[in-house]
Amino acid sequence: MLVGMIDHAMVRLRSLLVREIRAFFQGRGYLEVDTPKLAPTLIPEAHLEVFATELISPDRPSVPLFLIPSPEVWHKQLLAEGSGSIFEITHCFRNGEQIGPYHNPEFTMLEYYTVDADHRDSIAVTEALFASLLEALTPEIAAMPKPGGGHDRTNAALHLNRLRPPFVRISVRDSVLEHTGLDLNRLTDSESLRAEVGRLGIHVEDGESWADTFNRLFVDRVEPALSTDRPLVLTDYPSGIPVLASEGNDPRYRNRWELYVNGVELANCYAEETNANAVARFFAGQAAAKRAARVPHTVDPHYPRVFGPSFPRCSGVALGVDRLLMLLAGEINMSGVILFGMSGILSVSNYR
Amino acid sequence: MIRAGGIEKGMCLLIKGEPHAVAEREFVNPGKGSAFVRLKLKNLRTGLVLRETYKSNDNVETADVFDRDVQFLYSDGENYHCMDMENYEQFDVPITGLEDKANFMKEGDTYTMVMWETTPIDIKIPLKMVFVVTEAAEGVKGDTVQGASKIVKVETGLEVKVPIFIKEGEKILVNTESGDYVERVNS
Repeated sequence: MLVGMIDHAMVRLRSLLVREIRAFFQGRGYLEVDTPKLAPTLIPEAHLEVFATELISPDRPSVPLFLIPSPEVWHKQLLAEGSGSIFEITHCFRNGEQIGPYHNPEFTMLEYYTVDADHRDSIAVTEALFASLLEALTPEIAAMPKPGGGHDRTNAALHLNRLRPPFVRISVRDSVLEHTGLDLNRLTDSESLRAEVGRLGIHVEDGESWADTFNRLFVDRVEPALSTDRPLVLTDYPSGIPVLASEGNDPRYRNRWELYVNGVELANCYAEETNANAVARFFAGQAAAKRAARVPHTVDPHYPRVFGPSFPRCSGVALGVDRLLMLLAGEINMSGVILFGMSGILSVSNYR
Repeated sequence: MIRAGGIEKGMCLLIKGEPHAVAEREFVNPGKGSAFVRLKLKNLRTGLVLRETYKSNDNVETADVFDRDVQFLYSDGENYHCMDMENYEQFDVPITGLEDKANFMKEGDTYTMVMWETTPIDIKIPLKMVFVVTEAAEGVKGDTVQGASKIVKVETGLEVKVPIFIKEGEKILVNTESGDYVERVNS
């Protein structure tokens, strides 16, 4: 199966990339952790579908288990126990998404938490990581042979420049204002946002949530217009999108950012919510919204207790390693950087 | 009505009362949001391109279309010449808008054509098709560093990335959605 189609130069580049990521974090005193891929309970996220399986054993009733969509569920417990800054490179699993140029149901995630830090500190850490990766990997990438076709690695300098720090920082509010003329400061209730977005000719539905209308606007007008020549950090997302990031000085926004490189969403960062009541409210809201999920999962009602007084001030980043490898190698399809990508496996077997 | 998440390329939708063919469909999952569908649509009356974004569970109105089995005779660069398999009537289908099918149109093969009223909207291409390799360079022995693949051409002009052992005159199975090589066909 797929014999003769393995891109050995890419396999080697991935190995080097992972080695350099480890060296970077270990050199800065982060502890590498190795946490399970199977979990009996997950943090509820209304819009993520997961994979479910079952533990069977001879001496006890079977237990439903879930493949992690993110190692966050473990990392926050470690942070609460005083682990200090940690990182992990692990496989994550997301169901119900279209397999395509930027999605494989099983993918590699780099997650790193910096204690006694906020989301702005995480930008600096991420910039240092990128600088270090570019320095270590550029000679290797420049020497990669041009493969049979489909992509062109000869322009290494050009696409590597798109990853080069410093990152451009722009708030979501400013970006929306620039690309649509709408001021989010004035559109904090669902009805006025829906009216303005509808006036732009974007399809909206009566009674939908503020987050849904905002995402329509963002997907239709903002994301396609983001500049691609330099890494772009979109900061301070509206509070109308429920997440586990702490509230900003302006309560209309949250302390979080997303990193876009060449128009691709590459990393997501929070200044972590440390208030147990706020986490409990998030759990309740997401669990209610999650009733429509194809694959429901178990939620631990006691999990918010992790965020007690011992939970440190910290900031976490989740970064897609396969997407990073695509951007480094100038690849346009994730199947070109993953060994045995799902689309290839399924087209060889007698799927559909 | 159809859920936006179930919309596929080639489908025909009624948007603001006008029939539109779906030219491109892309799923987008914003940071922490539900799934969205970005569509590129072509107005079947005016040819104008329209871009629309829907949430996956929005309902969108469909336009009534029907299938017609046709044999593909040949292409003259402007039209696909086809014959209706029921009444043997020959007719021309303008290539404009269906350019992406050209690499998968084999003379003499039968295809399903999707019609809206009297307008051909789409030609359905089987997911996997067998092609004859018409141009192939010799593979270089021992060359494993470059991924051990090469580009060959098949009878429709389509270029496919294949393992180096594929030779001219051999038949290969191709996934027509991705354009990827699947396997060699022994006949």
